[in-house]
Amino acid sequence: MSTRVLTDFDLVLPGSLSEALDILAQNGSAVTVVAGGTDILVAMKAGFKADMVMSLTALPDLDYLDYDASSGLRIGANASIAQVVDSADVERHYPALWQAAKIFATPQLRNTATVVGNLLRGSPAGDCCAAVAALGGSLTMASAGSTRELDIDDLWVAYGTTARADNELAVELKIPAPAAGRVSAFKRLTRVNEDLAKLNVAVSLQMDGSTCSDVRLAMGCVAPTMIRLPSAEAVLEGSELNSETLEKAAAAVQEDISPIDDQRSTAEYRRGVAGVYLKRAVEQACSIA
Amino acid sequence: MSKHAITLKVNGASYDLVVASNKTLLEVLRDQLNMPETKYGCGTGECGACSVLVEGDVAINSCLTLAATMDGREITTAAGLQQNGELHPVQQAFIDHSAVQCGYCTPGMVVKGVSLLAKNPNPTEQEIREGLEGSICRCTGYVKIVEAVDAAGKAMAVAAD
Ligand SMILES: Cc1cc2nc3c(=O)[nH]c(=O)nc-3n(C[C@H](O)[C@H](O)[C@H](O)COP(=O)(O)OP(=O)(O)OC[C@H]3O[C@@H](n4cnc5c(N)ncnc54)[C@H](O)[C@@H]3O)c2cc1C
Ligand code: FES
Ligand code: FES
Repeated sequence: MSTRVLTDFDLVLPGSLSEALDILAQNGSAVTVVAGGTDILVAMKAGFKADMVMSLTALPDLDYLDYDASSGLRIGANASIAQVVDSADVERHYPALWQAAKIFATPQLRNTATVVGNLLRGSPAGDCCAAVAALGGSLTMASAGSTRELDIDDLWVAYGTTARADNELAVELKIPAPAAGRVSAFKRLTRVNEDLAKLNVAVSLQMDGSTCSDVRLAMGCVAPTMIRLPSAEAVLEGSELNSETLEKAAAAVQEDISPIDDQRSTAEYRRGVAGVYLKRAVEQACSIA
Repeated sequence: MSKHAITLKVNGASYDLVVASNKTLLEVLRDQLNMPETKYGCGTGECGACSVLVEGDVAINSCLTLAATMDGREITTAAGLQQNGELHPVQQAFIDHSAVQCGYCTPGMVVKGVSLLAKNPNPTEQEIREGLEGSICRCTGYVKIVEAVDAAGKAMAVAAD
């Protein structure tokens, strides 16, 4: 069979959220949701079989990106990576997310790929996944007749698998407003921007002078899902940020990660760079590089 | 398979079409509308040969876009950039700077050049290179391509004065 060709499927284009949720209620796991399509169309061209594809393109009013100093950032399901790059609010208040979006894929892909799609794909390499895992936040999961808030810490359950139920649609990502003194950063190691990460890392810390608290560290491509780094977080939590504590945190990362060899890198190399990249990301966040 | 009645505006003309659910915008442009200027390279978003503009200046990969999701949208291909027989400054600059070798990547490159200059009329060389990421030239004539986009930006600034 020829590859890179889309085999037959039924396509539905609901024009309202309630229509979309009804389709999910009635067809459940038979439905493949498509937002920007930059992951799922590639997967379908590589043989992933979808019976019924539901495109979110015709859903009105889900392409917003709004920032409010008290309630924080809200990103609708159809908002693109390019919208993140274009937002001065994200650049200023959520550097980790802005830096991830800035180097994401290619200009054309940034125009179509969505932030929410990146999270729902559940790839351990997702760049927005790293940023959002570090910044903290939640997804509003809607189903016919109900909605729930899903904490980003509970989203990824296994490789490529999320806690989304078959009848649910993710409609909005929320990231809380940063308190004064909150810093964050994102770093990625690739060959060229267009490639997925060999390793990516995002950090978010509350700084009081040189003491850090509420430390959230996330790393990708080092486990079956995007992960937080609890051992390294414990080292930094409440401590004075200096080269000694940073070294300790970098060493502690080894306990948190379980990288493998794959087409983009090796377990050995990833173990070698993980601590260094964590350190550099913290330095970048605090601009002490 | 489902079929979808859509209206596409391509290079200024409106087309009422019935497209199959599994047809990409690239296939509809090339096979249904007989507009072969937009090229198929990889089919998976990596090479940029299939780049077209939506609503005037937003570049997308037509190989990863389902045609049925584009109802009512306005598409510009490389061939639609000329106006009244006059080449777009980006097209003219590609000729003037010999930025074309085999030409396969050229329609996508030109479209990306237009898109990047729309956002940033006065880009640095680094910004041009970043703006052209995702468009691969198999003949590797990147130096000429970057020069052409730079020259086009300057020509457009002069014309706008
Ligand atoms: C050439 C290329 C380069 C790339 N580079 C990068 C890169 O640098 N960094 C990176 O992280 N990724 C990259 N990607 C992967 C991809 O572009 C991103 O993951 C993108 O953010 C996916 O968003 P989308 O809207 O296109 O998702 P889609 O493909 O539409 O969907 C992705 C998944 O999420 C589900 N989904 C989407 N929206 C919802 C929703 N609202 N509710 C429930 N489920 C939903 C879909 O069912 C699907 O499983 C690249 C892809 C390509 C082809
Ligand atoms: S054919 Fe679309 S990016 Fe290569
Ligand atoms: S000119 Fe031949 S691929 Fe670019």
